[in-house]
Amino acid sequence: MEQVGLAATSDVTLWSLFMEAGFVVKLVMIGLLAASVWTWAIIVDKTMAFGRARRRLDNFEEVFWSGQSLEELYRTLSEQKTTGMASIFVAAMREWKKSFERGARTPMGLQARIEKAMDVTLARESESLEARLGSLATIGSSAPFIGLFGTVIGIMTSFQAIAGSQSTNLAVVAPGIAEALLATAMGLLAAIPAVIAYNKLTGDVGKLTGRMEGFADEFSAILSRQIDEKLQPRAAAE
Amino acid sequence: MRNSLATSTAIHALILGWGLFSLSGPQTLDAGVVETLPVDIVPISEMTQIQQGERTAPLAESASPEPTEERAPEPDAQNIGNNTVDLDTPPTPDARPEAVEEAAAPAAAEEPQPVPTPEPEPEPEPVEAAEPEPAPEPEPEPVEPAPSEMAALPEPQAIEEPAEANEPLPESETPEAVAPSEPENAVPENVPTPMARPEPPRPEPEPEPEPERPEPEPQQPTQAAEASSAKESEFDADEIAALLNQEQASGGGQRQSEDQAALGGRTTTGGESLSQSEIDALRAQIQRCWSIIPGMADGADVRVRVSMRLSPDGSIDGQPSVSASGGSQAAQNALSGGALRAVLRCAPYQLPAEKYATWSDVVVNFDPSQMF
Repeated sequence: MEQVGLAATSDVTLWSLFMEAGFVVKLVMIGLLAASVWTWAIIVDKTMAFGRARRRLDNFEEVFWSGQSLEELYRTLSEQKTTGMASIFVAAMREWKKSFERGARTPMGLQARIEKAMDVTLARESESLEARLGSLATIGSSAPFIGLFGTVIGIMTSFQAIAGSQSTNLAVVAPGIAEALLATAMGLLAAIPAVIAYNKLTGDVGKLTGRMEGFADEFSAILSRQIDEKLQPRAAAE
Repeated sequence: MRNSLATSTAIHALILGWGLFSLSGPQTLDAGVVETLPVDIVPISEMTQIQQGERTAPLAESASPEPTEERAPEPDAQNIGNNTVDLDTPPTPDARPEAVEEAAAPAAAEEPQPVPTPEPEPEPEPVEAAEPEPAPEPEPEPVEPAPSEMAALPEPQAIEEPAEANEPLPESETPEAVAPSEPENAVPENVPTPMARPEPPRPEPEPEPEPERPEPEPQQPTQAAEASSAKESEFDADEIAALLNQEQASGGGQRQSEDQAALGGRTTTGGESLSQSEIDALRAQIQRCWSIIPGMADGADVRVRVSMRLSPDGSIDGQPSVSASGGSQAAQNALSGGALRAVLRCAPYQLPAEKYATWSDVVVNFDPSQMF
């Protein structure tokens, strides 16, 4: 009976392979399919997000170094939702403004506060860039093992079926093994893009955060010079 | 994120859908229905082993010569064939009839020779001289057109003479002798002119002595003639031929063959080989006579090879040839001599006679390494 059932699956299509598989193997395959979908969703999302972020960085740097007044720039940017360098700039300017509105006493304290605010913003920005890249890494490393698990389970069950069928004919053995190997194939299918994309995207994240850090350092240097220029006369007057 | 998730799901659904419907499994390997080829391991002996059969007959499972005609069973016959006697030689096609006629014709032509032979007894000189003459005469005469007729006459005379001329001779001495001589005389008359040789005179003396011979003979007129004729008949080539054994020398055997003719050789060859026990028996016979000088230096490396030819009774035919290799020259000489002596001493070997073909040539390898 088992033999007849196995021999009947001579038409080895993806769908028949999936339907012939056992419960555990089906579960594994569905999970791997979901992982693949999720991987590609992240890849698409991140690729587009990084492209957008890179464009905004370029735009902001252009605007920032165009000689425009920082006050004006702050006024326009603080009214809208900002990301990347713009948010770092806005955070620093906000801290600067607050400090001067209440009358800063020491330049050192002001400098430290501004840098803290910029660091926090930078950390937040890079965190949003890196979001979900961890799941890519997880899928890339674990999907092959999950697929292998499905294969092992599938081969086990197919061997049990062969033992029951009392026949070692390759036509009887082949469908079960093919079906089991489908799980490994799906695991690899999910893992390979995930690993490649993870490496690529982490590299992109590093580049973007590096640019933002560089901007933060430059801007903090500019603000520090401004602080010195504004506080020095007051200190001299006193 | 939601957009990208939707995009990813859509792409997956697209690829899976395409895979499910258009990627309907790999093409099944076209193994085809291949019939298993039966492979037999054919020993070479089947090629060397030829069964007796008919060379021109089609191949059959078992070789067999042409079926013989039924005949009284000859249990002792050894060779297959239709012959009335059992001969070892293979059957050959019958001699051509032409050859037989040709053989008979010269016999008749020789008849005149025996006739004169009795005549020469009394006077050998003239007769002998006369005999060669008629024979050469016809040869030169044909060259000349005129005497050819004359030459043609003597020939029939010469042939007829033995039968007719001898008998009439006693009855009528001179007249008959003259009568036949007339043409002969005519011949010489013509002959001298063309030929310078003194042929005419010689034929003339012939008739003269002949009458003289008959003269004493007439006393035993008919008997002597009959006796002479009887002697002539005894020498008659026809009778000699009749006396000869008419059995064809190459006639085939007499053993019966019932099977359909099938492809095969003339004799059964190579079908037999000495069995291991027979080889062991031969080895034991030789080893019995083989003694080795114990303690010989480096004798263990020597290998002696004796090849000998055996006759059917098991005795050695000719001188066995000995060759030795390995070891020192002294050891080679000593051991090869011992091997030769051993082979010669045990000479009549007991071997199955029916397999003589396989042991007619024997090569014995002596390995003394185990003997020290």
